Amino acid sequence: MTAQGLDFQVSPELRADLKKWRTRSLAIGIFGALSSVAGLLISPFQFYHSYLWAYLFVVALAVGPLAWLMLQYVTGGAWGVIIRRPCEAAARTLPLVALMFLPILIGIRNLYEWSHPARVLADEALRHKQPYLNVPFFLVRTAIYFAGWWFLGWYLNRCSAREDSEGHAAVHGKMSAISGPGLIFWGLSVTFMSIDWVLSLHPEWFSTMFGLLFMASQGLTSMAFLIALMVLLYYRRPMSDILTPRHLHDLGKFLLALVMVWAYFSFCQFLIIWAGNLPEEIPWYIARLNHGWQYVALALVIGHFALPFSLLLSRDLKRNFKLLASIAVFILCMRLVDLYWLVAPDFRKESFGLSWMDFTAPMGLIGIWLAYFLYQLEKRPLLPPNHPHLEEVLEHGRE
Amino acid sequence: MADEPNVHQPKTDIAPGYTFGTVTDQIASVVLTRRTPFFWYAAFGAGLVLLLLFLLAVGVLFVKGTGIWGLRTPVMWGFAITNFVWWIGIGHAGTLISAILLLLNQRWRNSINRFAEAMTLFAVACAGMFPVLHLGRPWLAYWLFPYPNTMGVQPNFRSPLVWDVFAVSTYATVSLMFWFVGLMPDLATLRDRTHNRLARFAYGILAMGWRGSARHWSVYETATLLLAGLATPLVLSVHTVVSFDFTIAIVPGWHTTFLPPYFVAGAIYSGFAMVLALAIPLRSIYGLQGLITDRHLDNSAKVMLATGLIVAYAYILETFSAWYGGNTYEQAMVWHRMTGPYAVSYWSLMLCNILAPQALWFKRVRSKPVFLFISAIVVLVGMWLERYVIIVSSLAQDFLPSSWSIFQATRWDWATYIGTIGLFLFLFFLFIRLLPMISIFEVRTLLPSAKVEEEAES
Amino acid sequence: MIKPIYGLMAEFETPTALVAAARAAREKGYRKLDAYSPFPIEELTDALHLHHNKLPLIVLLGGIVGGLAGYLLQYYVTVVYFPINIAGRPLHSWPSYIVIAFETTILFAAISAVLGMLALCGLPMPYHPTFNVPRFALASRNRFFLCIESRDPLFDRASTIEFLETLEPREVSEVAP
Repeated sequence: MTAQGLDFQVSPELRADLKKWRTRSLAIGIFGALSSVAGLLISPFQFYHSYLWAYLFVVALAVGPLAWLMLQYVTGGAWGVIIRRPCEAAARTLPLVALMFLPILIGIRNLYEWSHPARVLADEALRHKQPYLNVPFFLVRTAIYFAGWWFLGWYLNRCSAREDSEGHAAVHGKMSAISGPGLIFWGLSVTFMSIDWVLSLHPEWFSTMFGLLFMASQGLTSMAFLIALMVLLYYRRPMSDILTPRHLHDLGKFLLALVMVWAYFSFCQFLIIWAGNLPEEIPWYIARLNHGWQYVALALVIGHFALPFSLLLSRDLKRNFKLLASIAVFILCMRLVDLYWLVAPDFRKESFGLSWMDFTAPMGLIGIWLAYFLYQLEKRPLLPPNHPHLEEVLEHGRE
Repeated sequence: MADEPNVHQPKTDIAPGYTFGTVTDQIASVVLTRRTPFFWYAAFGAGLVLLLLFLLAVGVLFVKGTGIWGLRTPVMWGFAITNFVWWIGIGHAGTLISAILLLLNQRWRNSINRFAEAMTLFAVACAGMFPVLHLGRPWLAYWLFPYPNTMGVQPNFRSPLVWDVFAVSTYATVSLMFWFVGLMPDLATLRDRTHNRLARFAYGILAMGWRGSARHWSVYETATLLLAGLATPLVLSVHTVVSFDFTIAIVPGWHTTFLPPYFVAGAIYSGFAMVLALAIPLRSIYGLQGLITDRHLDNSAKVMLATGLIVAYAYILETFSAWYGGNTYEQAMVWHRMTGPYAVSYWSLMLCNILAPQALWFKRVRSKPVFLFISAIVVLVGMWLERYVIIVSSLAQDFLPSSWSIFQATRWDWATYIGTIGLFLFLFFLFIRLLPMISIFEVRTLLPSAKVEEEAES
Repeated sequence: MIKPIYGLMAEFETPTALVAAARAAREKGYRKLDAYSPFPIEELTDALHLHHNKLPLIVLLGGIVGGLAGYLLQYYVTVVYFPINIAGRPLHSWPSYIVIAFETTILFAAISAVLGMLALCGLPMPYHPTFNVPRFALASRNRFFLCIESRDPLFDRASTIEFLETLEPREVSEVAP
């Protein structure tokens, strides 16, 4: 089997499929967006909160693949070449994701207590944090995150395009050279992003694990998404000629590892705060383990850890396209539940509840993002044709 | 055996030059036939002398009690716990190399896993000394375990110190089993190769009658993979539990939620430093550059760099969170560390752990074993200082300024610490002399001739 | 009367030859056969149909027993046997008990893996007929052996030797029991 014998361009039948999926997700997205706008008129408070946690999911879908892209340039390996083009397409959606941040900017007063000068003056803890938690600095930081992500995505995409047109020699070493520092930027930016956007919702509370938890979540969300996408692509050429259970097995291992890492981080954070029982720390968990929220937490323990963990241990399952994709989609749903559990209890202290906007906001954001992502995906061949180790990658799957 | 080419091939040979026979003979000859080099006697002798120092220090400790160490209220966890954490961290790289890299199918590990596992085992032995000696009445160490007793009391299972007992003893047991299972086929090789009756008997008993049957290999491979799958979460849990010793307590500078992954990263960091510090001299003394190649050193250096960056991330976040959290005691703690009596240790650890290893970004540094050896030693010193600063500075200046006091290490503190380095060297060089330091059967699988050529029809 | 033998052993120089020989012997109908090699050969597992062993099940059971034992021990001690209020924590402090339960899970599972492996292999076994073949010492170095045992229904000293010779071994030897 030689790489030259295969055409990695999106085949006409896949193009038709992509168009179908794009139309559908755009329709769902527009429906979600329009109804959410109606929600904005009814209850801005609810709208912004629903929007925030749904937005965090979309950020993970776009920024997580960027991290995988850089990781595969640093470490190498067949798995990375297989998912490279979808990751690049996701990185190309970053301008849209940045645009989607605007509503949070507009609704900042509805979301963050520290954005009200009067309340900051009245509260000693907020006064202390004021040099960090203030609107101008918040905007500067957000701009830095997006600028950095956009630059990394743009640079890696440009190198990749040059590899396609001019051959690998033109870009040799450039991608891995930027990926090392790029990963450092990713780690730091996701940490401070999680502090700014999520942790500061509850300004008295702080946990140093939070950034790591968000990194793991981004990795998990994007890997689950990529697996589901690869299986969808598998039914049409060119991927049906290329993808093998062995490739999928590699990705499945990452999924298993990240499910464990997520559980490990979450449990450590919980145990340390539970055992310490300090008045500035424990209220965050009290809010999340009472008034109906404890059932959400239990659902997370089972659905976000125990169930996928026990299933993914099986080697045969990781090689079964349909089953692995179903688990990946299930994990994506649990990621939404987890984000809701992280964000919503701060507004719903009295009891667990859901608003209809908690459904329309994710529908709108994910639908529109997905349509744009699929549009980006079909622009380029689905595998890098000039990759120096492409034959080994294809061979790897056949062993 | 006469059909074999020369055993002592040129030292610069890379792996392609080897055959099953030469690989076997080169590794086994270190144990069986080759003259023991002077270096071995020197290192083993140094280990023995330091081991005697350790025995002396322990003897004095038994007679006089823990007062011979610098422990004074409020610093009741001085060198002993620092050394415990340092040693057990060093051990983690061995398990990481043997288990995680096996699961990830990273076959380059095959020529460094054996001695890395041995390193784990001996590092855990050294680590285990300290909490037991620190008990005050070490002969009552069995009180740590839950057993029916006439006193009618039981351990407090809410305490991380009891978790530690379970974690470290499990870790020692599993590491020993993993190491021994990995040795079995090689013990059979030594049994079949030696001409000494006593050695044949000893290796034969230990090899348990291993004969390389395909049925056995099949079960054996499953067992190794399962053990690797179990050892991977175990090794993470061990340093996690070690970090719980600190973070479950609400002492400023200890109680922070990311301490578990930060400790794990630090452990792997120092562990890979120790792997490099051992591998670089060993491979040049025994001429094993063809088996422990520059690529192994390069990969280990990259792991060191990556884990070092995680440790750097932890320092950044620690400082930021102390300020952001707004807790007076946390802020005072960070300030004390930077400017107080332990400032020299603090800034040296920053230099050793963060600044110096940045040199590893450059390929030119990573390709020079001498530089790598130096940076490994620097990291080992830095990681020791890190634990020292975390433990001692948090205790010396606690909530009540009236009870503050400065920890001064005594000569017995140093004697016990340096003594365990002797114990480590003693055990390690004993291992080098008696057992194959590179896994022979796993290196055989790396040879191109190990690949079965499939016929066209199958 | 000829002395009974354990089987016949053929020696090969490469793993490829051994795998081919093992396949041929299986195809010929021999079932009581074993191959010996200085390192694990994945294809040999296929050739001899050795795929499934019970070890994962043993380890799973060991892990479950270990986890339950660890948790119940802590529950029994802190709730039933020695209930004592420590820092106001509940008697049944389940978050704290997870740690030790995890460690005992791993400990029991790992012990089951090692003991299970030894039991399934029938080790330790200091004496085995194959060791009677002088050149078998090379099975732990660089030679590959295929042994057809005399308890195989198709085994016949003459015809089996003849069959083994067709596989082009380095040599064929009889294995004393």
